[in-house]
Amino acid sequence: MMQNEIDMFGRKGGGRPVDASPFAQPDRHSARPLSVFRIIAIILLPLVIFITIAESGVFRPQNEAPAQPIDFSHKIHAGTYRISCLYCHTNARRSPVAGVPSVQRCMGCHKITAADRPEVRKLKGYWDRKEPIPWIKIFGQPDFVAFSHVAHVRAHVACEDCHGPVQKMDRVHRAVDLTMDRCLSCHRDRQASIDCVTCHR
Amino acid sequence: MNRRDFFKLLGIGGAATLTGCSSQTPERLIPYLVPVEEIIPGQATWYATVCRECPAGCGMLVKTLEGRAVKVEGNPDHPVNRGRLCARGQASLQGLYNPDRIRQPLLKDASGQFKPLSWHDAEEWLAIRLKELRAQRREIVWLTPHLTGALDQLIDRWLQAFGSKRRLRYEPFAYEAIKVANKLLFGLEAVPTCDLQSSQLIFSFGSDFLETWISPVMYSREFAAMRAYEAGRMGRFIFIGPRRSLTAANADRWVSVPPGSEGMIAAGMVRVIIAEGLWRGVPKGELDRIKGLVDRYTPYLVSQATGITPQDLEALARAFAEADPGLALGGGAAESGRYATATVAAVNLLNYVTGNIGRTIRFGPLSSLSRLSPHRELATLIQAMNDGEISALFFSEVNPVFSLPRSAGFEQAMDNVPLIVSCGSFMDETTAKATLVLPTHTPLETWGDDESWEGLYGLMQPAMEPVFETKPLGDLLLSLAKRSSDSQAAAFTEESFYEVLRNRWRELHRRVRPETEFETFWSEALARGGVFQETHPRRISLNLGGLAKAFQWLQTLGRPDNLILLLYPSINHFDGRGANRPWLQELPDPLTQLTWDSWLEIHPEDAQRLAISEGDLLKVRSPYEEIELPAHLSTGVRQGTVAAPIGQGHTAYGRYADPDDLNANGFGEKRRGGNPFALLPVEPDGGSRGLRLAAPVTLTNTGMKYPLASVSGSVRQHNRGIAQAISLAELGSGEPELDTRHLQLDTRQMYPPHEHPVHRWGMAIDLNACTGCSACVVACYAENNIPVVGKEQLARGREMSWIRIERFEEGPVDRPGTRFIPMLCQHCDNAPCEPVCPVYATLHNSEGLNIQVYNRCVGTRYCSNNCPYKVRRFNWFTYPWPEPLHLQLNPDVTVRESGVMEKCTFCVQRITAGKAKAKDEGRPVRDGEIVPACAQTCPTSAIVFGDLKDPTSTVSRLSHNPRRYRVLEHLNTQPAITYLKKIIPDSEQ
Repeated sequence: MMQNEIDMFGRKGGGRPVDASPFAQPDRHSARPLSVFRIIAIILLPLVIFITIAESGVFRPQNEAPAQPIDFSHKIHAGTYRISCLYCHTNARRSPVAGVPSVQRCMGCHKITAADRPEVRKLKGYWDRKEPIPWIKIFGQPDFVAFSHVAHVRAHVACEDCHGPVQKMDRVHRAVDLTMDRCLSCHRDRQASIDCVTCHR
Repeated sequence: MNRRDFFKLLGIGGAATLTGCSSQTPERLIPYLVPVEEIIPGQATWYATVCRECPAGCGMLVKTLEGRAVKVEGNPDHPVNRGRLCARGQASLQGLYNPDRIRQPLLKDASGQFKPLSWHDAEEWLAIRLKELRAQRREIVWLTPHLTGALDQLIDRWLQAFGSKRRLRYEPFAYEAIKVANKLLFGLEAVPTCDLQSSQLIFSFGSDFLETWISPVMYSREFAAMRAYEAGRMGRFIFIGPRRSLTAANADRWVSVPPGSEGMIAAGMVRVIIAEGLWRGVPKGELDRIKGLVDRYTPYLVSQATGITPQDLEALARAFAEADPGLALGGGAAESGRYATATVAAVNLLNYVTGNIGRTIRFGPLSSLSRLSPHRELATLIQAMNDGEISALFFSEVNPVFSLPRSAGFEQAMDNVPLIVSCGSFMDETTAKATLVLPTHTPLETWGDDESWEGLYGLMQPAMEPVFETKPLGDLLLSLAKRSSDSQAAAFTEESFYEVLRNRWRELHRRVRPETEFETFWSEALARGGVFQETHPRRISLNLGGLAKAFQWLQTLGRPDNLILLLYPSINHFDGRGANRPWLQELPDPLTQLTWDSWLEIHPEDAQRLAISEGDLLKVRSPYEEIELPAHLSTGVRQGTVAAPIGQGHTAYGRYADPDDLNANGFGEKRRGGNPFALLPVEPDGGSRGLRLAAPVTLTNTGMKYPLASVSGSVRQHNRGIAQAISLAELGSGEPELDTRHLQLDTRQMYPPHEHPVHRWGMAIDLNACTGCSACVVACYAENNIPVVGKEQLARGREMSWIRIERFEEGPVDRPGTRFIPMLCQHCDNAPCEPVCPVYATLHNSEGLNIQVYNRCVGTRYCSNNCPYKVRRFNWFTYPWPEPLHLQLNPDVTVRESGVMEKCTFCVQRITAGKAKAKDEGRPVRDGEIVPACAQTCPTSAIVFGDLKDPTSTVSRLSHNPRRYRVLEHLNTQPAITYLKKIIPDSEQ
């Protein structure tokens, strides 16, 4: 196999010789002595990680709101006009995935409503070009968590409980802590299952 | 900082670094432009279609999520397989997502290299050639596999439009001897229905009906039903042949006979039955003629030729005659050897004189395999190609360069054909010789239909959008015809193949259900997977002249000096077409437990005589060709016979099948064994002139060792009572004694017992029904995102399968009984893995599941060391899925990374889904509603899953069955899996 080619199990050919096994093996048996750099790295790495955690956190609240391709305001839609969350995120009541509304659904209203506004024109642009809108994802769980919207909607958990007061936000950001701690405390309060496989499988 | 906090930090730290990387390219949410009505994101949509992995034509349901197929299951409405699939069917997804699929049209340039070109250019190029050929009235040939329905008709029509009619439906296993023998005896060139279920005794003369013969999923189901124990009785099964195949390993008795002598045994049995007056329903006049034909096959003569004692032959004959009804099947080596037609004729005669024809052998519904082209047509084609009569050869999904004997000269003959067009999904040995390659859809992406048996019309629909820029063969044919001339365009008025298919189904609609609207009929057929009609058997009578003719080929054998090589279709790869599916390569052969390889099975005494030991690389030379194969010592072949599985030895079938890609330098610096098809003779069998799957060979030891990757521990149980059995007599005598050898139970416990307030999930596995077919293993790979690790890792014992089929041998070393036992996590109540986990990554939940929390696991592997069943699997590496195989991943199951332990979860994602559904509908979970992937696909329903807290559930009932036992019960692990002992009928013969 050529170097830098990807082998049958998708591993990079890397620096292995041309005739190396396709069943790649890390060089477990190479006996390199611990260099000073390595020792420093071993001490430094946990420190760096610790600082990273202290500074940010994937499921922690986040104050920054990323700019979306269209400056969509939840404050106007969900706040001022009091449109129900489930009107647009309609799959939340029947599927694990809440999803984002189709462009067609947006256009259902905006063909007429506020059609002259610059942001709505952007929307019309996507619709005319037959392009989906590449929204930036704000809320999410890691791959080892199985979260179901439908189960929570059926249990009358308010959307705000996890998503924060989006009806007050022009640009949505993650205002609520989405760590396992929060899941568990709510599950305990509501006497919902705290079995590991309820969420991890 | 305490330990818990430390791990918390470590976990979050890891995640933070990950987001650190990904924050530069934020994850996007891409909405639908216009939502698709039938798709709810996150909810599965199922489409019914037909499995095309072999000619059996099982109904299949494809589970799609967000528009991609993630799992296939059998269609419960389809009469062939009733909801079950075999290992090959389960792996059909890896055909769809195979990374080696051809992604664009390819044209061979002057230097012999394939160059990609656009669809438009490719079609234009071909249309010009076709126009020329038609103007010059040149002959075009179409070679397809077993094909029925609309596409089959369209190809014939297409050929006609171009003024040709040579059309071959080619399968390496064409059941020609069966067809010809039936033609001679009963005047019908057909493959009949075999009713295994109503038989009391089955004699298989070489037929591997549990593996690859005709319709293995259907026969497995019928076989299990026939073997079911009821009121002291069960159906019995005797296998007669030179090799102990998987089917033979499931028999009560394997009668080992030299290859080619099966017909004499059948004839000898007929003679005994007539001589002792045990025949049923044979007219007097016929009886005398038959008697005259079989008179020379005296027990003494048969004994001389086969080694069966005369007493044994008589006992076998009496047992068969007593069975009312019985069933004798001829197939496999017996049906593809030198005396194949005569053998099948003798087996038919045995059925005839015992009155089974019309009862367990019925000529209706007939299998559509009856329509396969005979081997002699292929021979004629090769001749015509060599004579330059063929101007263009079109083929689709057939690989004759691989599956014909090399001495047949197909490959050389292709050099004399100026235009060769391959319309298939994969590069293979035959496609590599093509001028133009037009990549077509796989069966999961196309419309189509399939009539596997008379009256069973299966309908195929695309389960998803095409993965690559391929085209359906039907549309391609229409487009080519239209491009090549105006008159053709007038002849083919259909817009698309979909319209061709609907027109054919309009005819069917008029014939079978004219009272309903066509659209209703059509949509019902789509939802159901087809239209299934009853067909009544034809009345047939014996043609004595034909019988006499067939018997003239039945010869008395001399003992051959040479070793005879028998080839058998591999249960994993069939005729070689499964070799590019990584799941099927990783799946151990159920008998040898070898993976990723082919081998030569040789009897230990022969091996000793020839100074061969396990793993020696042998040169196998037949009069026609020579290949290399590693030796595997096995008492499963008789002395004087060696056997090799068919399917490996590809040279151009993608990264998983190609020995050069895999093993050139990786594992022992030796190639995987060659293609044994190459060794076969071209001279066909005397009667049917079909392909023979046997050849005389000589072996030379190269002196090199070839490492075989086996997943087998010991073949013997060493008195551990893992796969237990009970005799029929003991079972019938009321309360059988429980095997107490292992039951010196000390039930004292350190911990309080677990409470299961609502459910206690459990499983019952009937070892009397398990045939070892391994469909469950592949289903589990598909459902649970289990990675493929490759041969070298397997040899290091790092396989990842959550369920495995263990095979043990019992009794005498040279003629052992075989037992299979599916081994998976036992979900012990007293699980040894749980207390040793330092981070609580494995623990017991309130429903009795032994759960594994991947995000907690730190990979100490203590649990695996402490598991007595050895069912825990450790991810030594992160094994990626080469694109687009990753599209098959089940989103409901976490994909594990290196350093994490994993194991069977009882398909917890299905349990959760089942509970959620019941909760939504405001009712308790119904018994049988939650089915794990292994139980779902089991062709014999050997695996039953359910709630042990519900006393009325099937699993509760089975766990009190008199045959119940639990594996390694003396360890007091209190498993949730109850096994039911295999029943060994009393040997009367």
